Amino acid sequence: MAANAIEIPTSASGELLTADGRPLKESLQRSLRRRKLTALALVAPAVVFLFVLFGMPVLYLMTWSVDDTLINEVLPRTFDIYEQWDGEALPPEPHYEAMFKDIADATGIQIGRGSTRMNYAKSKWKSLMKKTKRKIKALLNENPDFAGPYKETLLEIDKRWGDIAFWHSLDIMKNPYTAGYYLNAFDLKYGFDNEIIQQPENRRIYKTLWIRTLLISFIVTAACLALGYPVAHLLATLPLRYSNLLMICVLMPFWTSLLVRIVAWMIMLQQEGVVNDTLVALHVVDDENRLPMMYNFTGTVIVMVQILLPFMILPVYSVMKGISPAYMKAAQNLGAPPAIAFLRVYVPQTLPGVGAGVILVFIVAIGYFITPELVGGKDGQMIGNYIARHLRSTLNWGLASAMGVILLAAILILYWVYDRVVGIDNMKMG
Amino acid sequence: MQHKTIAHAIAVAGATALAAGSALAADLTVVSWGGAYTASQQKAYGEPWEQKTGKKIHWENYNGGLGEVRTQVESGTVIWDIVDVLADEARVGCDEGLFEEIPDEYHVMTKDGMSIDEDLMVPRPNKCVAPMIWWSYMMFYDAPAWEGKTPPSSIDHFFNVTDFPGKRGIHTWPQALIEMALVADGVDPGDVYDVMDTDEGIDRAFAMLDRIKDHSVFWSAGSKPLELVKSGEASMALAYNGRVGAANLSEGATFVPVWDGQVLEEEWIVVLKGSPNKELAFEFASFASAPEQLAGQAQYINYGPMRKSSFDIIMAGEPWFHNGKEILPHMPNRPDVLPRSIIANPDWWADNRDPIQERFDAWRAQ
Repeated sequence: MAANAIEIPTSASGELLTADGRPLKESLQRSLRRRKLTALALVAPAVVFLFVLFGMPVLYLMTWSVDDTLINEVLPRTFDIYEQWDGEALPPEPHYEAMFKDIADATGIQIGRGSTRMNYAKSKWKSLMKKTKRKIKALLNENPDFAGPYKETLLEIDKRWGDIAFWHSLDIMKNPYTAGYYLNAFDLKYGFDNEIIQQPENRRIYKTLWIRTLLISFIVTAACLALGYPVAHLLATLPLRYSNLLMICVLMPFWTSLLVRIVAWMIMLQQEGVVNDTLVALHVVDDENRLPMMYNFTGTVIVMVQILLPFMILPVYSVMKGISPAYMKAAQNLGAPPAIAFLRVYVPQTLPGVGAGVILVFIVAIGYFITPELVGGKDGQMIGNYIARHLRSTLNWGLASAMGVILLAAILILYWVYDRVVGIDNMKMG
Repeated sequence: MQHKTIAHAIAVAGATALAAGSALAADLTVVSWGGAYTASQQKAYGEPWEQKTGKKIHWENYNGGLGEVRTQVESGTVIWDIVDVLADEARVGCDEGLFEEIPDEYHVMTKDGMSIDEDLMVPRPNKCVAPMIWWSYMMFYDAPAWEGKTPPSSIDHFFNVTDFPGKRGIHTWPQALIEMALVADGVDPGDVYDVMDTDEGIDRAFAMLDRIKDHSVFWSAGSKPLELVKSGEASMALAYNGRVGAANLSEGATFVPVWDGQVLEEEWIVVLKGSPNKELAFEFASFASAPEQLAGQAQYINYGPMRKSSFDIIMAGEPWFHNGKEILPHMPNRPDVLPRSIIANPDWWADNRDPIQERFDAWRAQ
């Protein structure tokens, strides 16, 4: 009997079989697959959600940074024969004919969007295109069989068609993919013949902004670390009833609206504000020389440090909480003075939390734009402000998305460097 | 461009579903800027028109721009009938064929038989628009802050920090600021855009801006300059005239507007191309832009009607504001301030905005 019960079914080729006569291996694989599918089905909503509402729009916007197809659809004939022109003197009749027919065939909306793009390459394209479109429309209404002379007609419509600079500016638009927006993001541009040249000096702004954005992010991160580390230590070592109270103090600003906190800082720090009034009353500074602490670089840094401080304190605290006080005691027992014990025994153990805090604060800081917009004044603006501006008001989405991609790349590079130097596995959020 | 079309289609479907629900009960959808401005439109001609015709208006708010209008017209699902637009959009939209041309017979003549074109302060840019109001960028200060001192009274004082100390509140875009700087430098308001057409002219404007650069506080939200001036952080600021007037007329503020060198901006209404209620929309545009109705709007907000005849009605009817205060001191296009006002040229800005904005940003960041 007993021998019967443990008799193991095998197939002809000697494989193990389950009770229903299938090979065990296959059966195991199937149940494993089922489990995997169940797990996948459970995370699927989150993955789909992230992809549709985050991944796809991001990827889609990234394509804008190199996309120059629109203008090629508006002026197909013109770009088709553009290469045949030597660029020395005004183009000959066929080029004018191509331009005339392209403008005649384009819809009003195409001209509107196309001319906006052309205006990035050279100012005044917009009015030239619109005026020409209006005139050509009227001309063709009157004389549908119009067949030239095109050059003469265009020059009559607007004398700017005789300005070779407009024709030269078409050169950088003929390729449907362009690196132009990336150049613009570093104060560079294409000249004629695709050479890369600097923007005129009074239009250079982005290089300064990139440097300043990095600088602000570094300062804010360092300040958060310097201010947050002792607080986290206190939080982790105080008796529970005090540490709870302190924890609420840390979290309270976190729960308060961003705008409320920013406005509160404005009231505190502006030149007619509470801090300056107090300093004047105490005769620390005189009324004429009130300290400028708001609407500038200083203001941006101060407000950002306050807003981002919890992002540093919380991960550091949660790591410190897990460090047994026995280590410090042991170190001192073995003869280390408190300072050395702290530096050589305690601090290294908190590094995973510090790493997490630093990365978190830095990445959030580098993309900030509301705070600098409100308190940055003239020298506290960051790159995020300009991305927002190009998205919302100038509608230069190509430039905005190029700057976004660069920002993303910068973060990834810093992340990589961090991984090399500190090691990302070391990081601990809690 | 397949992916763009799809994204577009999704956006339109979403917008249509949202808007159709609320607009269903109404005969006409009118889109404007919300707040006190829409309220003044509702009181001055929305409600009277509803009573007169028995039709129902659905009011919606938007943030300007032509994005939504383009989407509706291109996809053929037009939900908005009337939109209140700025000078630039009025031109771009008509050029791109997004608006209907309003037939001449819908423009109401004045009592003296003047046509719309004779009655307007500036010519219509095209046949798509019906007149609304003027608003302006202008400088102002708070009276108590200058007590016992000579307050600023012309635009060059704004750029003179030696004789008129204190910080200046200015906006974060170059429009209006360049014009004001040039007038402060002695350019005649009528010649401003000719001067701006030259590189030297722009240099000249920036040289003026340099004088106040280290004394500037920047704003981007319309309420901010009022806060700056009220709190004493700035001794004077540029602002939208509507904000300053509203604070004075309705909240008892003591701001003093300085009209010298102000920049006047146009505001029009248009009918969307392919509006299913086209005829009705024309009728509404006609009613809303008639002299009496435009004058009536000034009972509720201090923007200046575009029609001269409306202005005559207001002048004869002072005190005109609904709470019994005089409205004329707060009107940007009062005849006596016009000679020293700049009428904004949206075509110039459409052509030159990008380089000037970049230079302005660079100037600001240095």
